Amino acid sequence: MNFKEIAKRGETGPLSEANDFLMKRVSANVLKLEKKYRITWDGKTLINLDDEMADRCWQAGRELLLASGIFGMNSKRIIEFSAEEVDEALRFAPAQLPMGQGKDAVTAHHRQVEDPRLPFIFSGPFNADTSEEHFVKLNEAFAQERLIDSLLFPGYLKKLDGQMIRPTSGLASRAAMLYGQWSREAVRRAGRPGMPITGHAVMALNEIACTNEQWGLRSTDPRAMVLISELQVDDVTMTRLAYYLAYGCPIYMSFTPLIGGYGGGPAGTAIAAVASFIAAVVLGGEIVHIGPQHIKFKQQTNMHSLFLAGLVNQAVARNSNIIATTSHTTSGRPGSEQYAREFSALALTAVTSGSNVTGPRPAEPLGFNNVSPLMARLFAEVSHAAAGLKRSEAAQIVAKLYETYKDKIDLQQAPKGRAFEELYDLQTLRPTSEHQALYDRLKEELSSLGVPL
Amino acid sequence: MAAESNKQAIFTAMREAIENYDSEAATEAAKQAVASGIDLLEAVEKGFAGPIRKLGEAFDRMEIFLPQLMLGSEAMKAGMTVLEEAITAGGGSIQSKGTVVIGTVEGDIHDIGKTVVAALLQANGYSVHDLGVEISASRFIEAAESRKADIIAMSALLSTTMLYQRDVVELLGNKALKDRYFILVGGAPVTQAWADEIGADGYARGAYEAVQLLDSKKESWVK
Repeated sequence: MNFKEIAKRGETGPLSEANDFLMKRVSANVLKLEKKYRITWDGKTLINLDDEMADRCWQAGRELLLASGIFGMNSKRIIEFSAEEVDEALRFAPAQLPMGQGKDAVTAHHRQVEDPRLPFIFSGPFNADTSEEHFVKLNEAFAQERLIDSLLFPGYLKKLDGQMIRPTSGLASRAAMLYGQWSREAVRRAGRPGMPITGHAVMALNEIACTNEQWGLRSTDPRAMVLISELQVDDVTMTRLAYYLAYGCPIYMSFTPLIGGYGGGPAGTAIAAVASFIAAVVLGGEIVHIGPQHIKFKQQTNMHSLFLAGLVNQAVARNSNIIATTSHTTSGRPGSEQYAREFSALALTAVTSGSNVTGPRPAEPLGFNNVSPLMARLFAEVSHAAAGLKRSEAAQIVAKLYETYKDKIDLQQAPKGRAFEELYDLQTLRPTSEHQALYDRLKEELSSLGVPL
Repeated sequence: MAAESNKQAIFTAMREAIENYDSEAATEAAKQAVASGIDLLEAVEKGFAGPIRKLGEAFDRMEIFLPQLMLGSEAMKAGMTVLEEAITAGGGSIQSKGTVVIGTVEGDIHDIGKTVVAALLQANGYSVHDLGVEISASRFIEAAESRKADIIAMSALLSTTMLYQRDVVELLGNKALKDRYFILVGGAPVTQAWADEIGADGYARGAYEAVQLLDSKKESWVK
C-alpha cells in the first residue's frame, strides 16, 4: 500500500474520539489478545527465552493492528488495514538499508535472535540540551568514535539568538538549518564527511528546512519521525513522511510503547509494541526504533522494559525482515558508573534478541551537554560483544548488572553525572584522564561479568 | 435493622461498581442510594471514596494500569453525577477538594501524562475538567474562568512546547488574573527551575506528586 492510499484513509476512515480509540480499540483488544495468546510475564524474567511466546506475541500484535488500525490524531479518523495489506507491507520491508555517502556509507541490517552479525550503532547527543558554543565540538567528538555508524540527533538548543525556539516559528526553521549545517560540519571535522546523520531536534514541519545536499542533511541521511503511544500518528509526522519518502531519505520510524499505559502491564504493552512495529512499516518506516518506556520509572532499563524489549524484538526478529533498533534511556547519567551498567544491561538484552541499538542517553539530563562520546564508545563495544552471545548467557550478566542499579532507578536518586566539557579536554577532544579511568574500570568490570569485550 | 442492612448493601454495591470499573453499576447503585433516602454524603464517603483512593494507590504500585484507573474514575464520575443532582436538588452540595482545568499546551499532542494526572486528581476528590491536548493559552484561561477553577494544570512533553506554559502565565498576568489561580506545570522537560522562571505556582514530577502538592498547598489556592 502506498503513502497516497494511507493519506486518503487518514481523511476518510471511521471517525472516533481519541479516548474511544485508545480504550475500546487498543486497551480492550489488548486484554483479549493477552489471554488468547497467553502472553505473560512471571514478575522476574529479564530476557525472554521462550520462542513460542515470542511467536505468539507477534500473532497477537498483528491481530491488534488489524483490529485497531492507526488513529489520525488531527483528522480523528482511523486508518484501517486489511490482513493482505499488512502482510504485503511486511513482505516488502527492506532487510537491509544503505545510508551515508562515499567511503562513509554504511548499511543497517535486519538481525536474527542471537545473530552473530554486529548490530548497527546509532549514537550521538540524542537530543540532549546542548549549548551553542559546544555544539560542533561535541558532535565531532561523537563522530570521531569509529564504532558509531550513524550520528544520532545532534543535540537540542534551548535558545537561539537569545530566544527560546517556538515550534513552527521562523526561528525553528533557522534552528533546523543550523542543526543541519553544524552536524554536517562536525562529521566533516571528524574526517567522516559522508557519515549518515539520523534526525535532529526540530521535529515540527520546519525540520524540512535542514535539507540541503551541500551544507545540510541529505537524501542519504535517515529522517526520524515518531508515532504516539499507542498506535497514533499526527499530521506533522504524516507531512514529514510524505516529503522524505518523496525525497528518498531512509525513513527511521520510532515509537515508545508505554508500560503502565493503554497497553497495561509489560505483557500487554508488548502486544501493543509489536502492533506498533508493524504499523511503522505499513506507514513507510524502513528502520523501526522501539523505546520501551515506563509510566512510573520514565526510563528504559527497569525490569519491565528489559523484558518487553527482549520479547518484542524476538517476536519481530523471528517473524519479519524488519530492521529493528532499540533506544537506550537510563536513570544514571554520563560520567557515572550506573550509566554504563544500565545501558549495558539493555544492550545485552536487545542485541541478543535481534535488535540494532540506538543511544545511550539519560532519561533526565541535568543541565547542558550531559553526554559522553566515550560512553558511546563503550556502548558500541558492549553491543558488538553481545552479538553472538546466547540469550541465556546474556541473561546471567544482565541479572548481575540489574542488581547493581535496581534501587537507584528513581530519576531523583540516580547519579547526576557530569557535562561534556568536564569529561573532555575541549582543545584535543580527548577524554580527561579521570573519565578515561572510569571507562577503563567499567570495561574491566563488564569483562569480569562475562561480556566478551 | 433492615434499613441499616439495606444501607450497607448499597454501599457494597457502590464499592463493587468502582472495583469492577463498571459505570452502569455505579449509576445504578447511586440511584438506589437516592431512592432509599439514605444520607448521600455518607454514601459518597462509604461507597465511592474508599475504592477510588485504593485504585489510585494500586496504580502507583503498578498493580493496575492506566485503562483500569480511567475506567474506575469514569465509573465514579457516572455515579457521582446521580448523587450530585440529588444532593443539589435537596439544597446541599458536595464539597470537592478543588476545581482543576488541565490540558496539554499548544503544539503538543501528548496526552498520556496529562490523562494520568487528571484521573488521579479525580480519584482524590478534585473536580477535574480535562481540556485535552494542544490547548492554547486563551482556551486555558476561558475554561478556568467559565468553570470557576481553582487550579490550572499544564502539561508539556517536549522541550520545544514547554514555552507555551510561559505564555499561559504571561497571559494570565496581562489579564490581571494570575492571582486567581494556582498554576501547576509538569511534563518530561519541565523542572522546578522552569516553573520558577515563568512564575508558575507549582511543579510536579509525576501524577502522584501533583496530588500531594495540591493537597499540601491548599491554603494557597483555596478561595
